[in-house]
Amino acid sequence: MGSIRFDSVNKVFGGVKALDDINLEIAEKEFVAIVGPSGCGKTTCLRIVAGFETPTSGIVSVNGKRVTAPGPDRAVVFQQFVLFPWKTVRQNIDLGLRNKNFAGDERERLIRSVLDLMNLESYADAFPHQLSGGMQQRVAIARAYVLDPEVLLMDEPFGALDAQTRVLMQEELVRLSRVNPRTVLFITHSVEEAVYLADRVAIMTRRPGRIKEVLDIKTVRNEERWNRFQRIEDVMDLDSFIHLRTHVWKSLREEKREDRQ
Amino acid sequence: MSGHRRIWAGWATLAGLVLFWFGLTTWTGIVSAGRFPSPAAFWLSLVQIMTRGYAGGQLVTHAWHSLELVAMGFLVAIATGVPLGLWIGWSRRAEAAINPVFLIIRPIPPLAWIPLAILWLGLGDAAKIMVIWFAAFVPSVINTFSGVRTIERPVIEAAQMLGTPLWRFVIEILSPAAAPMIFTGMRLSLQAAWTTLVAAELVGALVGVGVVLNVAQQDIYPGMILVGMLTVGVLGFATTWLLSRVEHRVLAWNVAAKD
Repeated sequence: MGSIRFDSVNKVFGGVKALDDINLEIAEKEFVAIVGPSGCGKTTCLRIVAGFETPTSGIVSVNGKRVTAPGPDRAVVFQQFVLFPWKTVRQNIDLGLRNKNFAGDERERLIRSVLDLMNLESYADAFPHQLSGGMQQRVAIARAYVLDPEVLLMDEPFGALDAQTRVLMQEELVRLSRVNPRTVLFITHSVEEAVYLADRVAIMTRRPGRIKEVLDIKTVRNEERWNRFQRIEDVMDLDSFIHLRTHVWKSLREEKREDRQ
Repeated sequence: MSGHRRIWAGWATLAGLVLFWFGLTTWTGIVSAGRFPSPAAFWLSLVQIMTRGYAGGQLVTHAWHSLELVAMGFLVAIATGVPLGLWIGWSRRAEAAINPVFLIIRPIPPLAWIPLAILWLGLGDAAKIMVIWFAAFVPSVINTFSGVRTIERPVIEAAQMLGTPLWRFVIEILSPAAAPMIFTGMRLSLQAAWTTLVAAELVGALVGVGVVLNVAQQDIYPGMILVGMLTVGVLGFATTWLLSRVEHRVLAWNVAAKD
């Protein structure tokens, strides 16, 4: 349940090649981050899995089924949160459950548990504009999580947050994926974020985007027991973390250098 | 400027205008009574129509009838214009099919429909409602249409990824997202309805503010003409105010978000 597969995926936008022969397999409950220079097409990869875009050639499948349209089995968390401003926090979270035709008491139970999970209990009846950016993104994550999706697609979800909120949210996401592991495709331009959160990091080239390298983080993380630390800065101090981060960083920098020529 | 000062400034202008009115008519007689009524003449006309009646009824009867026509025409225009705007806003295919027809019909002044309306529906209220409807219809369609077109794409994508079925999408996502523009359209529709009313009532009506104006013109009765004009002004102001209260309530999320 919840595997994602990119099979020779190409995407052309108005004559410009955005994605070039993307091949990637994400296993069930695996957390994969894609990093790459801006404009490399990493968000396009996610949008194809979400069903918002169709590949020019090649196939993207989830659970072996070809993706053709958006659906609640692939919940998306957007960079700009995209809550419905006319709905309260509760109504925002409820919409997906109502669409799945859950009974009223079941919905209430699920909403309560996800509000509790995201520390949002006292904001159930607030409107989005009454919440801070971090809070709004928590609601967006709750809205995705409550559907118990097979796949969670996160498009630079913390990119619009200030540095402190961002760190808190990253730690929260790690906590969340321990309690409730999901298949996650995570797009970011932050190397630290990718190495801290993901099981594997896929590095993309500049446009047309290709997958240059896929780096295993999980093995190192387990060997070095990163999980014994609660705080991101303690993990970031470890030699094993620094080593991986520098590796990704150098790989990306090569792309930047080619860019300048 | 604070709210209180604004209101004060509004009343001051009004008071100044009334003084100016007194000055031109009663005090100096620069404007003769045959062209424009003095405040006293206006008052007598107002008392006359409110107590004894004029042109077939008291002021309340005329005003109420006009209000009914505007309300009916306006509501029918909203009920048809907003859904059409949503539809052609959402579906490019519907837009391509309907837009050419709309572009040809749109420049026809609402009053040019009066002859056809009378042929179809006679001299009764139905023909007048039809003309008001046509006048109020266009702003509702256009503004709802652009309200839908300016919805940010991620909002639509978020609803899609949550698996929202079409009818729920239209009611809970498309309509509220376009609501600020829909209300702009409704305000313009209401104005168009009042603008068209008097002209529609000039033809074959028995009661209504338009009738008062028409009869007063034939009687060469400036005081009553002014009563009729100001009645339309006051009613238009009152209905617009009412609509803005509804808007404020329905769009509470939007008003608060903008502050």
